[in-house]
Amino acid sequence: MKYTELNYKNMIFNEIYSTYFNAVSHILAEAVKNPVDKGKIREIVAKYAFSESIINIEDAFRTQKWQLLMSNGSTPVKNIPDIPVDLLEKRWLKAVSLDPRIKLFNCDIQLDEVEPLFTPDDYYVFDKYSDGDPYDDGEYIKNFQIILKALERSEPLDIHMLNKKSNDIEIIAIPEYLEYSEKDDKFRLIVTGSRNGSVVNLGRIRSCEIYQGEFKNKTSENYQSKKFSVTLELKDERNSLERVMLHFSHYEKYTEKIDDNNYRVKIYYDKNDETEIIIRVLSFGPLIKVTKPRSFVNYIKKRLISQKKYVL
Amino acid sequence: MSYNELIKSFDKIRDYMREFYVYGFKSREQYNKKSLRSYDDERRRLESWIGEYMGYHKTTEGKTFFISVDSRISRHNPLYKAWKAKSFTDGDITLFFIIFDILHSPDITMSNIEIVEKIDMEYLSFFDNPKVFDGSTIRKKLNEYVKNGLLVTGKIGKTLYYGKSPDYCFNNRDVLNYFSEVLPCGVIGSFLLDKYENGKDNFAFKHHYINSTLDSEIMCELFSAMHEKKEIEIEKFSRKNEKSTSIRVVPLRIFISVQSGRQYLMAYVRSKKRITSIRLDYILKIKSFAEAEDFDKLRDLLCGMRKYMWGVSTQGKGGRTETVEFTINFADDEEYIYNRLVREKRCGTVERIDKNNAVFRAEVYDTNEMLTWIRTFICRITHINFSNKDIEKTFIDDLNRMYEIYGVEL
Repeated sequence: MKYTELNYKNMIFNEIYSTYFNAVSHILAEAVKNPVDKGKIREIVAKYAFSESIINIEDAFRTQKWQLLMSNGSTPVKNIPDIPVDLLEKRWLKAVSLDPRIKLFNCDIQLDEVEPLFTPDDYYVFDKYSDGDPYDDGEYIKNFQIILKALERSEPLDIHMLNKKSNDIEIIAIPEYLEYSEKDDKFRLIVTGSRNGSVVNLGRIRSCEIYQGEFKNKTSENYQSKKFSVTLELKDERNSLERVMLHFSHYEKYTEKIDDNNYRVKIYYDKNDETEIIIRVLSFGPLIKVTKPRSFVNYIKKRLISQKKYVL
Repeated sequence: MSYNELIKSFDKIRDYMREFYVYGFKSREQYNKKSLRSYDDERRRLESWIGEYMGYHKTTEGKTFFISVDSRISRHNPLYKAWKAKSFTDGDITLFFIIFDILHSPDITMSNIEIVEKIDMEYLSFFDNPKVFDGSTIRKKLNEYVKNGLLVTGKIGKTLYYGKSPDYCFNNRDVLNYFSEVLPCGVIGSFLLDKYENGKDNFAFKHHYINSTLDSEIMCELFSAMHEKKEIEIEKFSRKNEKSTSIRVVPLRIFISVQSGRQYLMAYVRSKKRITSIRLDYILKIKSFAEAEDFDKLRDLLCGMRKYMWGVSTQGKGGRTETVEFTINFADDEEYIYNRLVREKRCGTVERIDKNNAVFRAEVYDTNEMLTWIRTFICRITHINFSNKDIEKTFIDDLNRMYEIYGVEL
């Protein structure tokens, strides 16, 4: 038996991936075992579908437009729905298997007969920084997998690493999650329970193992982003509106139009990232002006004063 | 037509989501490209799909709705939900679950006629007013699933038999959680995650441009065209005249920016004999044509050009390049500034002049593309020289405007 060649048009936007199909699959999985009542249907729809979906789904079952569930809540379906992984999904997984970062995960994507949806030759990230984490390094891979295991089991880790001043430090802490930056191409581990910090750059780890002793939480502080905000005004010239809006789109932000060509944007950022935000604001030159808070305006001014000392 | 939270086409919602997410300051009346009814429907849909990320301001012009997502907090791209809102018929969903119940194991194979009989006798007959599906409707559905790779076919004699695709299980949640957010067309990874029970999400993402998913299907079609080495016609939106235009190109590679949130197709325009960039979010439709026999040669050409590309600008007439050189000063305890120069440069060279000074030099197609990066070193640029004096003037004029805006005097 052979696969038929895939035509991509409307393959991603297909009802088989819809939340409705997913919700109905879970409803039928219950109904196969025991008749389901309205309450169960509502519970499943609330978990797997959209906030207004219950109106349509309940009605479709009640009126038997979808002939899958009878009025007593039982179903003629005999088996728990088990929809196979389709060709598009397999081709995407095959593309995953070609990414150098797959080595970090202890897994084997065996899809020898499948063509990848894309290969590293088909796309290029042209502006990520060049000192990304060493995904080929055996020690790095080993540490990454230990961290994943500890995350899964919520077990404490004993980490030896170099701090910013290149001094050896030890952190015994509970791992919370890994944070990946596409721009830096680096992973950071967010931890709690250590006085020696809450952020561990994976590239700086010298050794890492599951902590075997009795873990004692050394601090009551959790890693929490300290939200600050900066307010910018911008004039839509040289396509600045589109550029600024898109550039800062990954932050929580609020925008208002002041008049025909002027806009005000309030961006919320983590205090730890303030220097980065200052640099990013500077990169837009005179197209944006920081108006609040005063401290942020002063950071910009300070840099401009230093620059003005040099005659270009 | 009455309102339905599901949609038939992705095009309209693609525009609205971008407007609400990237801009988010327009009132209902300012969406002048569409009807007010359309605006109301699309907004209501978005509220149903991703209401927790939607907000509004009250202004003198009315409410302005927006989507606001802190990508470091949201572990999964909320915009993926739009891809999971495709409408379907009552027959589509009924047949889907019944067919996969009949063919629940790869060991079971049946002909179309056998499947039709089973559907009628063992499933629909339980209902008061059983639906009637004719054989051709069911055959069409079966063939659709074969095309998707959900079913496979085989012949015994002249009869075609259908069976479920061999079992393939991939349930490494860490792999799916991570790659569904960082690889092109990551929404497909999200479809896979939907198949499994909720588990722990161990990854968060910084500097994460979630809007790129809105162009996933376009990207998928482009990958397909590249693999088949096809020449294509692209219908794209032109920002200049707000109209759509068509261009025939050989698609070569997708260039992705993780600093601006943009994605580009790098393509060869035969009529102009040059490689150019086309933003994916401006592409409306793609039609494919005959095979481009020189595809490999053109891709190699693009590869060779990369050393002169800061962003996506390619050669002008005659393949001319421009040069830029600037020097920065840093204090004894600011070694990280020198490191920034080294790790952030995409081409060119860095020369350490002495303990506190370094010079960056590059030869690129378009020095204008470098201005935003060079400005990030403001406060320490001691010397700068562009071969394109217009660009140099822009840089200096901009700097002077900044001094003026912030009232900087020495």
